[in-house]
Amino acid sequence: MTKILYSDDLTTCFSTWRKEGIMTFGPVQEAGNSGFREVQDEKELDMNLILTSRTLKELFFPRTEPMLSYSIGKQQIETSEFLPSEKPCIIFGARPCDAAGMAMDDELFNWDYRDEYWFRRRSRSVIMTIACSTSDDFCMCTSLGLGPDSAKGSDVLLRPLASGKGWLVEELTEKGDKALQSIASLLKEGTEEAAPTAEVPVLFDLEACTTWLADPENFESHFWKEISERCIGCGTCTYLCPTCHCFDIQDEGDTYEGIRRKNWDSCSFQLFTMHTSGHNPRNTQSARWRQRIMHKFNYFSLKFSVNSCTGCGRCTRECPVDMGVRETLQAISTLQK
Amino acid sequence: MTDTIIPAQNNIYRPAVMKIAATRNEAPGVQTLRLEFQDPADQEKFAAVYRTGMFGLYGIYGEGESTFCVASPETRKDYIECTFRQSGRVTTALASAEEGDLITFRGPYGNRFPIEEFYGKNLLFIAGGIALPPTRSVIWSCLDQRDKFGKITIVYGARTVADLVYKQELDEWAERGDVELVLTVDPGGESPDWKHRVGFVPTVLEEAAPAPGNCIAVLCGPPIMIKFTLASLKKLGFEEANVYTTLENRMKCGVGKCGRCNVGSVYVCKEGPVFTAEEVSAMPAADL
Amino acid sequence: MSIQEQYRSRAKELLGEGSVKMVIGYGVGTTATRRRPIFITSPDETDRLVLDASCRTNLAGYLLREGLLADQKSIAVFLLPDGVRALNILAAESQLATAQIVVLGFEIKGEEVKPLEGTAAGDFSAIIAERKEQRKAQPSHEMAVKLEEMTPAERFAFWEKEFSRCIKCYACRAACPMCWCRRCVVDNNQPQWVNTSSHTLGNLEWNLVRAFHLAGRCVECGNCSEACPVNIPLHLLNGRMTDEVLTAFDHYPGADEQQEPVLASFRKDDPETFIL
Repeated sequence: MTKILYSDDLTTCFSTWRKEGIMTFGPVQEAGNSGFREVQDEKELDMNLILTSRTLKELFFPRTEPMLSYSIGKQQIETSEFLPSEKPCIIFGARPCDAAGMAMDDELFNWDYRDEYWFRRRSRSVIMTIACSTSDDFCMCTSLGLGPDSAKGSDVLLRPLASGKGWLVEELTEKGDKALQSIASLLKEGTEEAAPTAEVPVLFDLEACTTWLADPENFESHFWKEISERCIGCGTCTYLCPTCHCFDIQDEGDTYEGIRRKNWDSCSFQLFTMHTSGHNPRNTQSARWRQRIMHKFNYFSLKFSVNSCTGCGRCTRECPVDMGVRETLQAISTLQK
Repeated sequence: MTDTIIPAQNNIYRPAVMKIAATRNEAPGVQTLRLEFQDPADQEKFAAVYRTGMFGLYGIYGEGESTFCVASPETRKDYIECTFRQSGRVTTALASAEEGDLITFRGPYGNRFPIEEFYGKNLLFIAGGIALPPTRSVIWSCLDQRDKFGKITIVYGARTVADLVYKQELDEWAERGDVELVLTVDPGGESPDWKHRVGFVPTVLEEAAPAPGNCIAVLCGPPIMIKFTLASLKKLGFEEANVYTTLENRMKCGVGKCGRCNVGSVYVCKEGPVFTAEEVSAMPAADL
Repeated sequence: MSIQEQYRSRAKELLGEGSVKMVIGYGVGTTATRRRPIFITSPDETDRLVLDASCRTNLAGYLLREGLLADQKSIAVFLLPDGVRALNILAAESQLATAQIVVLGFEIKGEEVKPLEGTAAGDFSAIIAERKEQRKAQPSHEMAVKLEEMTPAERFAFWEKEFSRCIKCYACRAACPMCWCRRCVVDNNQPQWVNTSSHTLGNLEWNLVRAFHLAGRCVECGNCSEACPVNIPLHLLNGRMTDEVLTAFDHYPGADEQQEPVLASFRKDDPETFIL
């Protein structure tokens, strides 16, 4: 016997949560572009998306976020903080790849120094993930050791019923359990079967790739220039990556008062690492693409024992010149043979 | 890559406020600020954590933050001194700040020079131009406990006589008698009354020929000088493990999050800025 | 011989006889309908070139890669008429010399690809002139008409909503062959002319500044909208600026390489009493 949440009960489900003061978020489509935002009810959700074009990370790490405000007097400087509220949130309808990405970035944002902006939002949020029963040409979670029903980073996993009328409900964490308690009366017991999960082909041998990347000999391989020759350095892959976390800190205002913000930034940009002297350690686009790949599949795992790629495929799907992690790792995987 | 020290702070992006107690012009475009914490609690946190080699993010709200080393030693922790060249947006604002003005500080961050490991050894300090500040922090940390070390040699060079920083301290070191000070300027950079050496640091170093036995070298300077000086040190018989240097990369957060400063897998902000030449050699050269 | 074969052998010939050092064209992409820019330097590799109705990216921007043309050697590049116009503007703005460029021109009509006669940028003036007349006769886009019919308030609301999605990745700039500035105004921080944050003000500032910088220079190739990861219809904005220069100055950007930049040239008898 398993618990089932029927689609017909979603309206009640959302209104129950909202009555309890919980903010509800989910995948929404707008002008051909989709992402996560707060919704009043389930009708706003687009439940047919294989994957939103923008990632879940926006809910934890907004593209621009005020961190501090300052006012400067003659004898004093006053700083106040814009820390995110602790109001509980439920994110309904995340995908396993996005949820996994959040768990990966937890490591980074807690690396000795804890980023309160990230963690306040993380700890107030319950991620209810829907396992994928369809995939597209760019999905590659299985190549990264994840899958269409991976639990990593999720608090609740929902498996679509074969009938299409709802989901099998699996609580994965205490937080998830708590969120389900408030809709306990809506969870029906049943024996209905889940739809088969999407069949996502394995595209490359990850271990062969990480071995190649770990070899210092290959750092200056001609491979990097060849694979990134057409890269225009637009940063789309990084901004649409669930785990890319690089940011800039910028002040807005004058020397009397203003706001200090944390803004997304990208290792694809030339200015990212440029010293004031003009020296730039990563001065070519190929060095920057190498950095992105090395960071995900070598540096990050050296630090946190996990690669920082979930196989969502957005980097390839959205690249204006058809590059991406997929092509690079497929090519490395071939080099190895 | 010695131990990283983490100050207790709730919001890692919230800076402390410091008052400019004094300013000093060092060289054309180069300035030193002496800073004092406004909040005794911040001073206390700093004193508990700060060790020579660590860096800070010095800021002016409205302009931003800029990263440079703490140039004052761990033996003098009731203030912070920093020395910088006016070049970008933040340093331009800092350069126009006056005595009594308030600025912000985040840190101290990063690792440190393992000074206890230098006890009983001879020390060779080599610095070029504006890179004397990080070296100076180590120099004073050692001079303030002079009896713990053997022979101390300082080789310092700049492009021109005017570009030498800490001129007053150079005189002080020259006069103390327990330090061998070798000063040099690049050919053409000497003034008519210049009584010291003329020549590039590596050449002058090779001529001075300090003995590598039981000796630790601390080397800071622009990348090109580091490259040639390392070769000279090697020629003199120094082992890379006994040569310390600092890396300076662009940083925004200072705490391992923003993704800018890594050289290969090494985050300069967290695992540096102090490295042995051996550690630097292990990094991918193309990323430096 | 199919057009693809025809162009492959042309490329092979050019590389083989050494008249160009590189051919910039299209190759197969991740999926059946995706094409990706490729760079061919050996005559043996020309069979990697693909030419079909999916080849729509304007490749002209690649010619400005640092140092690429510095050796004075020639490069052949696959270009649609918009691409040739881009080439003309880049030449007019002293970014390259068209003498170094061999154009492999083609056009797409519906799903059909047609060869264009000519090899030098100047050889395509007839089709460009034809395009100009078409452009004057009919608006570039259905939505452009709707936008014109809106009240200023409605139009502002439309763009505000579109720009609200902007994530400031600057993919539009990276993809645009006209965005060749070594240091973009937005990357300047002394002073900080344009706000770098992607909030309402920052997004509006960025997108409008870019639109103004493209006025009279945009060839409407669509690279910007295609690259935009959040689907902002930037072509409508830039197209609107083209309408303006067409009406006011009869200026069709990139008509030929002698064409003066419409907003960066000034005549003594200009009726305006000031220049911006």
